[in-house]
Amino acid sequence: MPTIPAPLQALLDDPATQLEGTDVELRLPIGRTLLNEVLDARPADTPVEELLLDPEANNLVNLHLGVKAPVLGSVRRKITFRPKGSVSFPNQPWLHFDITDGFKMFDKPIIKLMQGQIAERLPKGIELTSDHLRLHVPALLTSAGYQALVPLIKNLRLTSEANVLIIQLHLKA
Amino acid sequence: MHPVQKHLFDTNFRDLSGTKLEGTIALSDELINLGILDFLQQLQKTDTDAPEPQSSAPATSSSMPKPEDLLKMLTIEEVKYRTEAGKTLLDIKAGIV
Repeated sequence: MPTIPAPLQALLDDPATQLEGTDVELRLPIGRTLLNEVLDARPADTPVEELLLDPEANNLVNLHLGVKAPVLGSVRRKITFRPKGSVSFPNQPWLHFDITDGFKMFDKPIIKLMQGQIAERLPKGIELTSDHLRLHVPALLTSAGYQALVPLIKNLRLTSEANVLIIQLHLKA
Repeated sequence: MHPVQKHLFDTNFRDLSGTKLEGTIALSDELINLGILDFLQQLQKTDTDAPEPQSSAPATSSSMPKPEDLLKMLTIEEVKYRTEAGKTLLDIKAGIV
């Protein structure tokens, strides 16, 4: 594992002290190609055969998903998410996405498979049902070792435009 | 090199176009001093541990973009440097074209 440079380590250990006085807003649009480079970097040994994000205008994000599900075999779905609301510490820790379209009436095995993969392989704080996906941002940051960053998040919001997913972040220390 | 980093370098950060940063970034004196120490250590490492330069080899497509190319992509509307007791502050309004 690469060594973290000392200044970065000091910042991650106590960001509230090291960045005290910081008050900054970041708008980070991530293009479709870069998003999918990030998804392509996932571990190879999962039953997920295809995972492709396609942000649209009007705050909709399509996820093209191909999985090997029990009983059904290989199946492909286009699931449409709508990011909703924003995260703010400590009152609203969940990043919420409504699923507006995608899972069909007989897709329980796919959802179960995805839930199993999430429970087995991913840290606690990811919740998937047939109508929403929720990410508990403090829990995910904590499991990644960045718990001290959580109180700095004044606002975190995801929106989408055609071919771009936009992260809006307000940090204050 | 991580594939995401490679992609960013290969495309000159094109997929982050439209990024905007506005506000105040404050860094403690401790952080600044650790940064200076780390920088000096890196310079010493470069002197003693760097591999022989391969002058005839062509640059790879994933090498770090040139600083002048990166600067061309930045729009800086405001940068104000100031200090307070125990910290350095940078008021900034900038973005990526």
